[in-house]
Amino acid sequence: MKDYLISMFVDNELDIDEKIEFVENVHGNKPFKDEAVEFLVQEKLLQGGMAVSLPHVSIPMVAEEKVGRFQSWFLPLAGFATAMVLMVGVYLSNPSPVVSPIETQHRFVIYSPDVSKVEIVGDFTRWSPVAMEKIGDSGYWTAQLSLSGGEHRYSYLVDDGRQVADPTVLTYEHDDFGGINSIIRVAGSL
Amino acid sequence: MNTFRKFYIENKEKFFGYLLRKTGNYHLSADIMQESFTRYLERYKDREESPALLFTIGRNLLYDHFRKNRGDTSYEDELHGEGTGQEEAYGIKEEYQGVLRAMEKLDDEERDILSLVVSSNLSYREIAKITGNSEGNIKVKIHRSRTKLKTILRQGQS
Repeated sequence: MKDYLISMFVDNELDIDEKIEFVENVHGNKPFKDEAVEFLVQEKLLQGGMAVSLPHVSIPMVAEEKVGRFQSWFLPLAGFATAMVLMVGVYLSNPSPVVSPIETQHRFVIYSPDVSKVEIVGDFTRWSPVAMEKIGDSGYWTAQLSLSGGEHRYSYLVDDGRQVADPTVLTYEHDDFGGINSIIRVAGSL
Repeated sequence: MNTFRKFYIENKEKFFGYLLRKTGNYHLSADIMQESFTRYLERYKDREESPALLFTIGRNLLYDHFRKNRGDTSYEDELHGEGTGQEEAYGIKEEYQGVLRAMEKLDDEERDILSLVVSSNLSYREIAKITGNSEGNIKVKIHRSRTKLKTILRQGQS
């Protein structure tokens, strides 16, 4: 009896012949079936959320970042990172947004006069900067993006790449790169 | 850089899970996590993304750490620092503290292999490579580690 088939089943490692053998054993051999269930229950326990909070660490940005559009905003960020004090009151446990599949249009607006460029970067842009549009000479910049329901993290990148949290949003957190992200919750609508 | 950021976000939780399961030490895991991502970024950022490489770096850093500190702190002292209260302080669920304590009773190789399997989403092939085992051998060792953990957990209940 190949007991290790149970572990391979748990870890999705069975090939087709092994799947046949596994299923036949589960059906024909009660102790094997019971053991398989016990291992699955144990796996659930093992994989279960262990820590309420992940640690916040600081990943220093490398200074010799290749010339490119990201250089402009990550270099100042690196300096900012060193100046950050320890984060408090952070409740983040999972950086991936909890989302529902329903998307809604969300308009982002920021007042930032006398700058030549504003971009938005967030989980919904896969952390790639998306240019915002200037509204005439008003000093306002805007972008309309499609967001799924749930929690989202983002910030603005102004001019030289300075990372700016959304001043209209009170909830924020420090990211592990020394910046600050705003957090919004978008209601999923039907 | 945004590629790295995405890589970081996608792997942070799994990687920290591996370090914590392997050491039972929250602070040490956080330090090693920071150091590993930093090294990965410094040296390998232009490579194709590789979680296996990240786990290899973290694993090596842990072994370096324990080698260096062997003189003043025993491996066992630093691992799974029972009674320090840090698990409670960092909100590790009570149920999970029991799991970490049970994992402490596995031998080093079993704990290493099981931590990788449970946390990393890496294939048996990749785990065999990281731990220096053959593919044929790794599935037997993985199951043996799980079986031993099951016995330990059961003893803990009785």
